Amino acid sequence: MRIQLPTAGAVVLAFLLSNIVPATIPRAAAEEAAPGFQAVADMNLPAGGTLRVYLDYDTVAAAGLDPRVATTARSWTLMGLSYETLVKVDEKFGFVPGLAKSWKIVSPTEYVFDLREDAVFSNGRPMTAEDVKGSIEMLQESKSSWALQLGPIASVDITGPHQVTIRLSAPYTALLGALANTPAAILPVKEARAGTIDLSKQMVGTGPYVATAHVQDESWTFTKNPHHPDAAKIGVDTIDIEIVADEANRLAAIRDGSAHYAFFNNADALDLLAGSPQARVVKQQNTDFYYLILNSKNPTSPLHDERVRLAVNAAIDRAQLSDLALAGLGLTTGVTPVTLPGACDPAKLPSATLSDAEISKLLADAGATNIKLSLTTWNEESAPAQIAQIIQQQLQRFGITIEIKVVDDPAYVAEFYGSDQPATADIGISWYAGYGDAAMVSRWWNTEQATFTARYMTGSPELNALVVKASQEPQGASRDQVLTELCAAVDKGAEQIPLMTRPGVIAYRTDKVSPTINTNEGYGNLLRYITDFRLTGTK
Amino acid sequence: MRILRWLPGRLFSAVIVLLGASLLIFAAGRSLPGDYANTVLGPLSSEEARVELRESFGFDRSLPEQYVLWLRNALEGDFGLSLASQRPVREEIASRLPITALLAAMGMVLTIAIGVPLGVYAGCHVADGRRSAATRIVSTIGISLPEFVVGSVVVFLFSHFDFGLTVGTFVSPAEDFGAGIVSLLLPALVMAIPCIAATARATRNAVIDVLVEPHIAAAIARGETPGFIIRHHVLRNALIPVLTLTAIIMAYLLGGAIIVERVFNVPGLGSYLVLALGRRDYPVIQAVVLLTTAIFVLMSLLVDILTGIIDPRVAVTKAGPGA
Repeated sequence: MRIQLPTAGAVVLAFLLSNIVPATIPRAAAEEAAPGFQAVADMNLPAGGTLRVYLDYDTVAAAGLDPRVATTARSWTLMGLSYETLVKVDEKFGFVPGLAKSWKIVSPTEYVFDLREDAVFSNGRPMTAEDVKGSIEMLQESKSSWALQLGPIASVDITGPHQVTIRLSAPYTALLGALANTPAAILPVKEARAGTIDLSKQMVGTGPYVATAHVQDESWTFTKNPHHPDAAKIGVDTIDIEIVADEANRLAAIRDGSAHYAFFNNADALDLLAGSPQARVVKQQNTDFYYLILNSKNPTSPLHDERVRLAVNAAIDRAQLSDLALAGLGLTTGVTPVTLPGACDPAKLPSATLSDAEISKLLADAGATNIKLSLTTWNEESAPAQIAQIIQQQLQRFGITIEIKVVDDPAYVAEFYGSDQPATADIGISWYAGYGDAAMVSRWWNTEQATFTARYMTGSPELNALVVKASQEPQGASRDQVLTELCAAVDKGAEQIPLMTRPGVIAYRTDKVSPTINTNEGYGNLLRYITDFRLTGTK
Repeated sequence: MRILRWLPGRLFSAVIVLLGASLLIFAAGRSLPGDYANTVLGPLSSEEARVELRESFGFDRSLPEQYVLWLRNALEGDFGLSLASQRPVREEIASRLPITALLAAMGMVLTIAIGVPLGVYAGCHVADGRRSAATRIVSTIGISLPEFVVGSVVVFLFSHFDFGLTVGTFVSPAEDFGAGIVSLLLPALVMAIPCIAATARATRNAVIDVLVEPHIAAAIARGETPGFIIRHHVLRNALIPVLTLTAIIMAYLLGGAIIVERVFNVPGLGSYLVLALGRRDYPVIQAVVLLTTAIFVLMSLLVDILTGIIDPRVAVTKAGPGA
């Protein structure tokens, strides 16, 4: 019997569709494996073996392997394998011991840290109080943007064999949050100052892993640090990290088992891996959030008028943005990341309460009817361009025509940052890391501190003062109130308007690895609980 | 040797082309908006820090000064340091070029092994309307399908179904040659598809042209077998246009692996160039594009030489009347 070509084609197509498209597309498991965790490693599994991790981009080596100048989440993740910080954040954004076994807040301007006595650098030298003092001082002296987050440190003193005291010139509640991220890692200061270790080329930290091989933009190999005091409890011996820029290739690697654990920016990964029975996909909510630049510095732009900026702000439907561009995973947020304790309620922001009629009136009062605005965004991820298109449609309802320009990352940065000449584009889309304290990211709204916003942000002394006040108020109801006021001021001024959180998607092979993954992350560290990971195939 | 008469002129013009290309490449790279300092230091950095970084790499000098310096060093084989990795660009290229070259060679082998027989078959069966139409349609589809579409489909299918080949792992041939060849098989096939189609079409047309020539009729009259005629009369004469195309394809495969390398995560020259462009890593951009240009120029020269050897009439034309 001869089979006709169309019939055979239809059979093959039906077979492929039935195997590729699942009957119902399941979303990531909404249930947490444990409070605060999307997955919890099975600690009964034996330790050992090699974990294969696929990441989207590498550290940039010219910025060096020096954690002080690390500016990207992947750098923080990779360097965080080899370096440790004084304190760490837990799954609820509480601060827990790191290299400091305990600390005492003597006053709002004095913090005393008692250090672990068993911490050892990967070269075998025990960590000392001099290393801690020197690391913080070296960070302050650097041109790193993280030096700004460190706050008004007046002095770092060694007050005991294993004790360091940090004194501030003014209260700074976010100090622990700043000390908890990789740029504030404790460095082998003695060797760095003697020049025997070049921090930009070599990672010698107290962390659980040592980088044993690195090919820029291709791969890393980390092996267990034998000097680590908890070496016996580290679950994976070796971590092979592949840098794979193409998202489809990372998806393929999870499907065929080449990768055990991989990260995705695109929320569609949840659906694209739905038909792969061995793959489990979880969303990780970040404190990072997308924001819109509304350039107030260009005197010829309608956005020079605060009423127009507020109207644009109010006309944007964040929930719709999240649904259409982020598969509903993004959470509407104010300037204090909504997932952090004490964050303001975005539903109560001034822009959230304006009706369509009020928005139209604001535009009419400003003489801004039927205006054209340019919107520039970048192409490293798919979401910003999608967000731009949705905003274009949302603003069209109010007679605002948006012209979208999508450029690459260097061109975007050149357009909006780094010079005091006003940017020519009206609107930009980008995202900020939200960190681990509600007041940290708000520093980027203080024009006296965040000079990189000079091309598009005018700011105000009142807003600057609120940012400073938010960073100084001690935790509690009064700080929450200040944060609420800060959110409202940012929303009304509308020069950088927060949109929604920027979630990540992590996929892993259940037949290869049993990981621990926190539900909320503040510093983009995808391997925060790496020492708990166990390989399921290890005997 | 007539070839020796026109070869020096061709070599001289090749050098002029490369010099002109180097200027264009330099100017094009520097005219891209944004720069390396923007990328490496990130948006939160101060202008002061960016100025300092630019000075450290010599980007504060005038563009003509930078160009002359770069060209002088390039002529000595020194393409500078990659801004991203801080390693000599020459070393980076040396580690990536063999991968791209192997990928291109595999693509070329597939192209010739499939494209030429397919073209001969199509050319010999041109009288059969259905077969002729089928080969035309297939070759048109092959040429038209963008590599990223074919590549993405292949990556999806081979990761979703177990066909015995994995797409999620690249194995360096330097570490394990056999496994490296296997891991490059699918990317080579995806790269080869449009080349196979183009080669099949060119071969088909050349075969059709040769088949109507009198010496083929004479061979048939002598009672030679069809296989003998194809091997000894048709293929030999149809070779010239195919050879020209083959050289162009080889240059394309060597320089045009950008998309395939990215889709399949092959760390060759193409993916290296994409990374460098995204970071404004000027020394890498300039070196890789210049190398690619040089490959095209050399391949073009090689075709001229080979064509001149195979068909001296072409050399006469190139040398000009009376040469």
